Amino acid sequence: MTGPADVSEVAFEVLDGGLLTTIQDHGRPEWTHLGVPEGGAADRWSQAVANHLVGNAAEAAVLEMTLVGPTLQAARALTIGLAGADLGARLRGGRSLAPGRSIRLATGDIVEFPGDGASGGASGARAYLAIPGGIDVPLVLGSRSTCLAGAFGGLDGRPLRAGDRLVGGPDLVRPELAWAAATRSGPGDVLRILSVGSADLGPLTASMWQVGSASDRVGIRLDGPPLPPGSGGEVRTHGVAWGAVQVPPDGRPIVLGVDHQTTGGYRVAGVVIAADRPVLGQLGPGARVRLLETDPPAARAALVDQHDALAAGVAALRDAAGWVSLADHAGS
Amino acid sequence: MAEPGGSPDVTVIEPFGDAAVLVHPRIDVHAAAAAIDALRATRPGIGRAVPAHDTVLVPFDPLAIEPDAVAAGIRAAVAGPPGTLAPAAEPGADPPIEIAVRYGGPDGPDLAAVADLHGLRPRDVIELHAGASYRVLFLGFAPGFAYLGGLPGSLATPRRPSPRERVPAGSVGIAGEQTAVYPLAMPGGWQLIGRTDARLFDPTREPPIDLRPGSRIRFVPVR
Repeated sequence: MTGPADVSEVAFEVLDGGLLTTIQDHGRPEWTHLGVPEGGAADRWSQAVANHLVGNAAEAAVLEMTLVGPTLQAARALTIGLAGADLGARLRGGRSLAPGRSIRLATGDIVEFPGDGASGGASGARAYLAIPGGIDVPLVLGSRSTCLAGAFGGLDGRPLRAGDRLVGGPDLVRPELAWAAATRSGPGDVLRILSVGSADLGPLTASMWQVGSASDRVGIRLDGPPLPPGSGGEVRTHGVAWGAVQVPPDGRPIVLGVDHQTTGGYRVAGVVIAADRPVLGQLGPGARVRLLETDPPAARAALVDQHDALAAGVAALRDAAGWVSLADHAGS
Repeated sequence: MAEPGGSPDVTVIEPFGDAAVLVHPRIDVHAAAAAIDALRATRPGIGRAVPAHDTVLVPFDPLAIEPDAVAAGIRAAVAGPPGTLAPAAEPGADPPIEIAVRYGGPDGPDLAAVADLHGLRPRDVIELHAGASYRVLFLGFAPGFAYLGGLPGSLATPRRPSPRERVPAGSVGIAGEQTAVYPLAMPGGWQLIGRTDARLFDPTREPPIDLRPGSRIRFVPVR
């Protein structure tokens, strides 16, 4: 092995980059005090499912694709894990590939994600593809994630494009598996929020909102009836969190995404609970979403339930794959 | 754990969702952030503190630590009067960081306009801007973007009516009562008076930028 460029380790040749495909892992939470966005996968639940399907740790580096995914040609036989939105994935000239499964590819197979899968967009905006060992790009500030705002990380800080090569770890021949537990973290059209300060969440929770076209990993705009005058405003700039619901002076709310700026100067009415961040990560332009006020005990229960559901799914995968017995052999 | 309406002498810890708190410390905000970061060694689950003007955002992993334990830890860490914190926790104790700036010309296309607005000559603007001592209030907005306090009031200038699509990396700008160096090429509406070749933000280094909240800065004119 001569290093990451060794052709034998190339997993995929990129024939088309898709609309916006980036490499994402756990992000850079240690550098937020220097203005570096936290980043990482926008839907950590789907990232975890894709990774577990190929035996990776939950936050190994994956491809995150948006609405229309890339076209990839397998440079060698390998197993991939797919999760998240249904972007119509299929083998060129062959079968369609549902999210929540691992698939065994032969050398030369072409995988494509034309968008508008069986769910017609209802399953979300972002799909995830994992390969054994994770996607190998250099660590920058402790992460392989693409930071679009800073143009670093991933593949030179930019989205995938034709001609790129994706390098992965060694492949282990694995059976094709299906994720038996829920493939989504929860209902896709509700974000539960906790109020901040004395904010009245009434107007925010009264409407069905539509995600605006100017929405991306940084944040989503909510289009709908404007909030009553005085709801929004500017405040002294302070640190903000993923999921914060900002209300600018124009009364049109913004929900901060995983690549949000580390500080903000708009009034914050509430924050999406941690358990609903995966739902937030799946909201693309045109999606409809309702905000629902919740309380801290319910937020905690939702997060614990989600954690347990993921663990149960991983245990079921291990049983199906016989990984536990393999590990036992290796340890004896 | 919130204490809305509490006395301004008391540190207020406000829930900010279920995975962060917004701390309004009564001590210096940079000292508070340093004390909270130090707390992480003994309280796993608490994330990196993000200071701003007068607050510190503290994220945490709700599956690893209870909100009450986060609040109690922070309260203990920032309780003391400012003098009880080690001076080493104060980045402002370091010597000022000097940034060489070429003022005016193609590097500072708005220098003349800023001078005109204030009834000054361009060289007066340079003298005023380079003569002041600045402190990093906090970093935010973009990777490595440091908000600097200390701009002479006579140089306070509104943003440009329409932002530029691309401001080159290293550009030194003024907006309102703030001045800053663009760490990366990006869109921006600040009035550009000069530019530095210093590569302030380099993600291949750790830390990627020498400026920290509290750092002192001086601009040195060069040609």
